[in-house]
Amino acid sequence: MRRSARFRAAAVAVAGIALASCSTEAHRASGGRPVELRLAIGGESEEGYDPTLGWGRYGSPLFHSTLLARDADLNIVNDLATRYEVSPDRLVWTVDVRADAKFSDGRPVTARDVAYTFTAASKSGGATDVTVLREAVAVDEDTVELRLTKPQSTFVNRLVSLGIVPEHAHGPDYARKPVGSGPFVFEQWDEGQQLIVRRNDAYYGAKPAFERVVFVFTGEDASLAAARSGQVDLAALPSSLATGEIPGMRLTRVESVDNRGIAFPFQPDEGRRTDEGRPIGNDVTSDLAVRRAVNVALDRRALVDGVLNGFGRPATGPVDGLPWHEPATAVPDDDPEGAKRVLEAAGWVDADGDGVRERGGRRAEFPLLYPAGDSVRQGLALAVADMLKPIGVAVTAQGESWEVIRTRMHADPVLFGWGSHDATEMHNLYSSAQAGVELWNPALYRSPVVDAELDAAMAAADPGQAAAHWKAAQRQFGPGADAAWAWLVNLDHTYYADACLDLGKLQVEPHGHGWPITRGIAGWSWTC
Amino acid sequence: MELDVLTAGSAARPVVVAVAARVSRLLLLLTAVAVGSFVLMVNSPVDPVAAYVGADVASLGSAQRALIAERWGLDDPAHERFLSWFGNLLGGDFGFSLTFNRPVLEVIGDKFLTSLALMALAWLLSGLVGFALGLVAGTRRGRFADRAITWFSYTLASAPTFWVGLLLLYVFAVSWNWAPVCCAVPIGVPADEVGLGDRLAHLALPAITLSVVGIAPVVLHTRQAVVEALASDHVAFARAQGERGLGLVLHRVVRNAAAPALLLQFGSIGELFGGSVLAEQVFSYPGLGAATTAAALGQDVPLLLGIALFTTVLVFTGNLVGDRVHAALDPRSRLVDVRRKR
Repeated sequence: MRRSARFRAAAVAVAGIALASCSTEAHRASGGRPVELRLAIGGESEEGYDPTLGWGRYGSPLFHSTLLARDADLNIVNDLATRYEVSPDRLVWTVDVRADAKFSDGRPVTARDVAYTFTAASKSGGATDVTVLREAVAVDEDTVELRLTKPQSTFVNRLVSLGIVPEHAHGPDYARKPVGSGPFVFEQWDEGQQLIVRRNDAYYGAKPAFERVVFVFTGEDASLAAARSGQVDLAALPSSLATGEIPGMRLTRVESVDNRGIAFPFQPDEGRRTDEGRPIGNDVTSDLAVRRAVNVALDRRALVDGVLNGFGRPATGPVDGLPWHEPATAVPDDDPEGAKRVLEAAGWVDADGDGVRERGGRRAEFPLLYPAGDSVRQGLALAVADMLKPIGVAVTAQGESWEVIRTRMHADPVLFGWGSHDATEMHNLYSSAQAGVELWNPALYRSPVVDAELDAAMAAADPGQAAAHWKAAQRQFGPGADAAWAWLVNLDHTYYADACLDLGKLQVEPHGHGWPITRGIAGWSWTC
Repeated sequence: MELDVLTAGSAARPVVVAVAARVSRLLLLLTAVAVGSFVLMVNSPVDPVAAYVGADVASLGSAQRALIAERWGLDDPAHERFLSWFGNLLGGDFGFSLTFNRPVLEVIGDKFLTSLALMALAWLLSGLVGFALGLVAGTRRGRFADRAITWFSYTLASAPTFWVGLLLLYVFAVSWNWAPVCCAVPIGVPADEVGLGDRLAHLALPAITLSVVGIAPVVLHTRQAVVEALASDHVAFARAQGERGLGLVLHRVVRNAAAPALLLQFGSIGELFGGSVLAEQVFSYPGLGAATTAAALGQDVPLLLGIALFTTVLVFTGNLVGDRVHAALDPRSRLVDVRRKR
């Protein structure tokens, strides 16, 4: 008797839950084209949606429009700007702003708002770097001058990523109530759960096909669950979870420059230490022959297939697939015989027959550090050790905390991951000026040729000229010349998308996962 | 009359002394927690600026890093940062959370309200279910029901919260599509259209998951207390007078068994909070647990310190209430207290 009562109570509770969840199915079951899109791609900006603090630097700032934009091939195109030019001394960027743009509160977007946005961002201490700006001035109704303290070609990335905020509405609550001139209007944000945005019908550009877009901020497991139960139309998942079929969805792989590579300590070990007491130098990897041999011996295709389950592509450098990438730097790999010849020519021979070469009493061996707990990097490190054993180079894969890696990275090779749409990163990884600063140029690589090219690229007048210098730098630090790093793989980012959802042409994505896919969100369409 | 005055006088003083002792103990504890947490955070290997910026960290110049560090006050020596934080705290200012770009107290207040529903429901569930199962197991000692319940409790005790959560999520939300997969409100519904039923539906799975943390100890302790009570003289006496079955358990055993169960329930508030960190993560439930994770990963020191202090008070209060309730239900424990003091 008592037992059956308890069962009945449970059944009622379960039925209640089932009824309540019916409402979540409504957007699909109604038939026809959905007017609402639901995405589980992460990317919640916990501090709010203020571009001057860094919101929108990946993907689309949604509520805001930017002066320029990158198309699917990463070329720079106009957005809010109708034209921009850089002065001959490269210190003044003059931007013409279109006159028909309006903020979602109805007020027009003026040159003053643009100037205000850049000034605010340069002082904000947020996650977007506008420190090179000296001042931003609205010279007339639709023209802004951005005056820099020094030439910087990568400043164009700020014009691409910094959403324009209205001066009249940019107060303390702005990050939680953003007003902008982008394709969508902020509707509701349930912190930690979801962001609901509405189509901006007053938007000057092509209007999105969906009236509303809901971003659900779930963890990986819940995202997978949401995709499987049909509650979202697009879910970003790590490739380890992107196995198996989901009915009605297709697996979309997006190429990325989210790379992994080995930084070889470039200095010989002369017993020197940094100011913090960290050891500098490695007598094995400071030898050009060793670095080249490693680059030649590795089978990058096998790394992609074996460690990434095929979700990736071999890496030739730090910027694969970006407009400033130099494909000619790639060397033929999977060539152990070639690697052996390089080592032998440099005097590395296995005299004692233990399988490891030596030269002048120094064994060809080194540890390879990776952050413990990162299973992809662990797999790569172990595979690299296996691939180098046959050529007589002994590698020990060692998982360590970042704290330990920081203290050893000038003396031992480390498996890093980078990748950005902002070429500043390449400068930071290879410039001798950034040697030992933070995690940049951890190997303390120094090359006057590369420094000159990087500086020239930073000071270049336009993206095309800058690209020429970026490419020249790659030819020098790449595996055919200094072989400063051994780049291994670029990861693919994996998404499950509704079979009816057309995402258009997708960009090569930067390091980090999720939000970059929203770049073309205004152009997404429903095909069935 | 004279006697009454005497006892009243002698009773009042110890109460004041006891309260003062408790309060000063709490203050000492809070100071220790604040200092300890701060030392741990300052020495943590997470680089706060890198954590804040995320994946694009290498495209930031050193000038921008300096700006961020300045906004966060990272340049000052650790002890100065601590002292200024502590000084503000005494004035009632808990500081500013950089992860959420809002005052710490606002964040804690908001998130705790969401967590409160979850934790309270889970707490009630684990208490009621645990106590009921414990009663059944104790009275049916050695029989099938006892063995099944004990086995169930040991299984629960060794099951990690997040794993139970994932299992429930898979079965109820993915396979059967009965429950929502995430969040505290339905996906895509404007705030003013969210009803109480929606909220309860979203609360069910996380609350069940979280209650799992607390069930096993309550079951096992209740079972033990029931067994002891059933073997005691007063139950033997009642039996001799003809009391049997449910009546005997309700009148002679429940009160004895309730004391340890309640003590455990109130004492388990700390574990409940720990469990909520995991349960909220699995179900993307936006409460204090999820905020703690975000603050820890982002090295948001003011928010983490605020949460640490807040939970300390919570756990301390829970233990205190547990003690009092236990003493009220089981006068023997009060005698032990008094004896110990002398």
